Amino acid sequence: MNTKRRRRRWRWETFLPYLLLAPALVLLAGMVYPFGLGLYYSLTNYWLQYPNRFRFIWFDNYVNLTSEPLFARALEFTLGFTLVAVVVQVGLGLAVALFLHARVPGRKVMRALMLLPLMMPPVITALMWKIMMASTNAGILNYLLSFLGVDPVNWFGSKQGAVVSILIIDTWGNLPFVSLILLGALQALPTEPYEAARVDGASPAAMLRYITLPLLSPFILLAVTFRTMDSLRIFDVIYATTMGGPDDATTNLQIMAYQYAFQWYQMGKGMAQTIVLLVLVVILSSVLMRLWNRAAASTAQ
Amino acid sequence: MRLQRQWLAGLLLAMLWTMGGLPSASAQDDAALAYYRQAKIDWRQAAGQTLTIGLNKHPFTESLLPLIPEFRRLTGINVEYLILPEAEYFTKLAADLSQQRGEFSVIMTGPMRNWQFVSADWIVPLDDFLNNPKLTDLSWYKLEDFYPALIAANRYSGKIGGGVGEGPIYSIPVLEESYILAYRKDIFDQYNIKVPTTIEEMAEAARLVKKNAGIPGIVARGTPSVASMGTGFISGLKSYTDGQWSELDAKLNANFHDPRSVKFTEAWINMVRESGPPNWANMQWYDAMEAFTAGQAGMIADADFFAAGYEDPTKSKVAGKVGYALIPAGPGGKTYAGLWTWALGINKAAKNKEAAWLFVEWATAQRTLLNATIGYRNYDPSRASIMNDPRVQEIMGAWGGGSYIKTVAKNLETARVAWTPQPERTRLGDIWARALQEIYFQRMSAADALKNADAEVDKVLKEAEIKP
Repeated sequence: MNTKRRRRRWRWETFLPYLLLAPALVLLAGMVYPFGLGLYYSLTNYWLQYPNRFRFIWFDNYVNLTSEPLFARALEFTLGFTLVAVVVQVGLGLAVALFLHARVPGRKVMRALMLLPLMMPPVITALMWKIMMASTNAGILNYLLSFLGVDPVNWFGSKQGAVVSILIIDTWGNLPFVSLILLGALQALPTEPYEAARVDGASPAAMLRYITLPLLSPFILLAVTFRTMDSLRIFDVIYATTMGGPDDATTNLQIMAYQYAFQWYQMGKGMAQTIVLLVLVVILSSVLMRLWNRAAASTAQ
Repeated sequence: MRLQRQWLAGLLLAMLWTMGGLPSASAQDDAALAYYRQAKIDWRQAAGQTLTIGLNKHPFTESLLPLIPEFRRLTGINVEYLILPEAEYFTKLAADLSQQRGEFSVIMTGPMRNWQFVSADWIVPLDDFLNNPKLTDLSWYKLEDFYPALIAANRYSGKIGGGVGEGPIYSIPVLEESYILAYRKDIFDQYNIKVPTTIEEMAEAARLVKKNAGIPGIVARGTPSVASMGTGFISGLKSYTDGQWSELDAKLNANFHDPRSVKFTEAWINMVRESGPPNWANMQWYDAMEAFTAGQAGMIADADFFAAGYEDPTKSKVAGKVGYALIPAGPGGKTYAGLWTWALGINKAAKNKEAAWLFVEWATAQRTLLNATIGYRNYDPSRASIMNDPRVQEIMGAWGGGSYIKTVAKNLETARVAWTPQPERTRLGDIWARALQEIYFQRMSAADALKNADAEVDKVLKEAEIKP
C-alpha cells in the first residue's frame, strides 16, 4: 500500500512538469533535429545516386572546400554583395524614412505604396524585373533609358550587369522594410532635444547629425542586422534570374550549395557549404547584436 | 410492407430508366474507347487504384493532360499528377526516387537521365511488361511502329562508357527531338546569304544577318548548365569531327582539350560573341526560342520540333518565313546531330507497377499519341504511323515550304545520342558549360578553359568511383 502511494506520487509529480513542457520540447526537437541531421550529413559523403557508398568521412567535405575554386569566388561574392547591399539599402532606407517623416504632401499615399513590394513574394519580384530587364530595347527598362540617351544595358548577359541587376531587385524588394523600421523609430523619438536645439539655433543638418542619428542608431543597427542576415542568405532572386551565372559572377554560397545538393545530388558537400554559411551568419549577426546592445544602452542613458 | 415493396420496385424502375437515358453519353465513350478495347488485355484489371505521375512542364505534357480522362474511363484507374519546370522536376524526382517512397509511379525521363537512374537502380526495365500477354497485346500495341533509333536510344545495358541501344528498354518515347538549323529564309534571300554547310559559313551567315538586318545573327542557349550543351552545340561539334569525337575517350578520360574540339569551340563562341544577342550567357532554351519566334534572330540551331512554335501564326512573327537545314557538317560532309526523346518510365519503388504500365501503354498507344499530335501539338511523332498520317503530313509538310519534313527525315538517318553513357552526365555537362562561359567572357583561352574542364571532370568521375 505504501509502495502504491509512492508510485502514484512519483507518477504525477515527476511527469507533470515534463508534460507541461512537452509542446515546447517537441517544438525544440523539431528545430534541432533537421539541423542535427544536416550537420551529420555534412560529415558524410552522402550522394543521392550512390546510396550504397554512404560513409562517415569526418571533416573531408570542409577540408576539400579550400581546394574548390568556386568556393572562394562564392564566398567573396556572398560577403561583397552583403556589404554593398546593406550599405545601399540602409542608406537609401534612411533617406526615404527622413523624407516621409518630413511634412511632404501625399506622404500617406506614398507610405501605403511602400508596402507594395513587401507584399510580393521575392520570386515574383525577381521574375517581374527579369521581364523588364530584357537586354534589347524590347525590355521596358532599356526602352525608358533610351529616352535619356542611354544605350541598351546588358542586364543579365554581362557579369557586372547581373550583379547590379540583382542588387537593384533585392533593394526594390527590401527598401520598404528598412524605411518602415526607421520611420517608426523616427516618429517615436522624443521631441524635447529638437526643441532645445531649435532654441539654440541649430541648423537642420546639425540636428540630423547630433540628435537624429545618435538617437536612431539602435534602430539603424537593427535594420543592418536584419539586412545582413538576409543578404548573406539571398537565394530566390538569384535563382529566378541568373542561377548564379554568367560565369559564376552571381554564385553565392547558397546557390553553390543548391547546385551541389540538388543538381549534382552531393548532399554531404552541399550541407557542408550550408553549415559554413550558417557559421558566417551566426558570427556576423552576433557581432552586430553586440553593437546593437551597446547602442541601445548608450541611447537609454 | 406492401407499400414498401412497391416503393422499392418504383425506385428500381426509376434507376433502370435513368440508366437507359445514359447510353447516349456512354456510346460516345465507347466510340473513343473502342480502339483501346481491340487490345486483348483487361484494361480494368487495376480499376480503383490511384497513380501519381511526375511530369516536366513541356508541350508533350500539355498534350497529355486533356486526354487523361479517357484513360480514367477506360481503366477505372485514378490519375494524379505533379507538373514542375524542368530543373525543379528533376530535383523532386531524384528526391522521390532516392528515398524509394514510390510517390511517382510513372515518370517522364529519357535516354541520358536513364543512365543515372539505372546506375542507382531506381527504375525498372519495361520488357517484362511488354512481353506479359496479360498486360500488353503486342500485335495491337505495335512496338515496331516506333522509330527504331528512338527505341534504341531508350535501351541501355547499364555499361559505363557504352551500351546504348543494347539491353533492356527503360522508357517508351513519346516524341522525337533532334537538332537542326532553322534560319530566316526571307532575310537570307533578301541579302543573298548562303545557307551554311560548315561552321565557318555559319559564322559568316550570322555576321551578314547582323550587319544587314540589324538583328542578332544567331541565338543559342548559353546558361552555365548542361542544358546549353546538348543541342546545337554538341551536334555541331559531333558533325565537325565527322562523328569521331566523344567527350570521354575509351578510358573515360575527358576529351574537351582535343584540338578539333578546341577549334570548334573557339569558332562557336566567336560567332556567338560577335553576332549573337548580348544576353547569350543568360539564355535558356525558351529565351532563345522566343527570340527567334519574335523575329529577333537570323538563325537558331536547336530542337527540330520548335518549328511547331515558329510556324504557329497566332504566336509567331516568323511563321512562313523560316527555312530548315541540317546542322553544318564536318570535312566528311555528313551531319551527326544529337538525339533525345522524352519518354515514360516506371519507378522501381512504385507500389502499383501494373497500373503504371497500363498508363504507359495507353499514353504511348498509337491513337493517344496521334490525338496528342493532331489535337494538341505534340511534335515530332515518335511513331512512324503518326508521322505518315495524312493530317500530320499536311501540317508538318507546310513548314518551311516542305523543307522541314525533308530535313528531319534526312537528319534522323545519322542522328544518335551524342553523349557517352555514365551517371555523371549532368555534372560533366555543367562543367563543360562553365568552360564555355569562361571563354566567352575571355577569362581564359579556349585551350586552357577546356583543359581545366577535363581535369575537373576527371576529378568528379574518380570521386564518383566511375573510373579508377
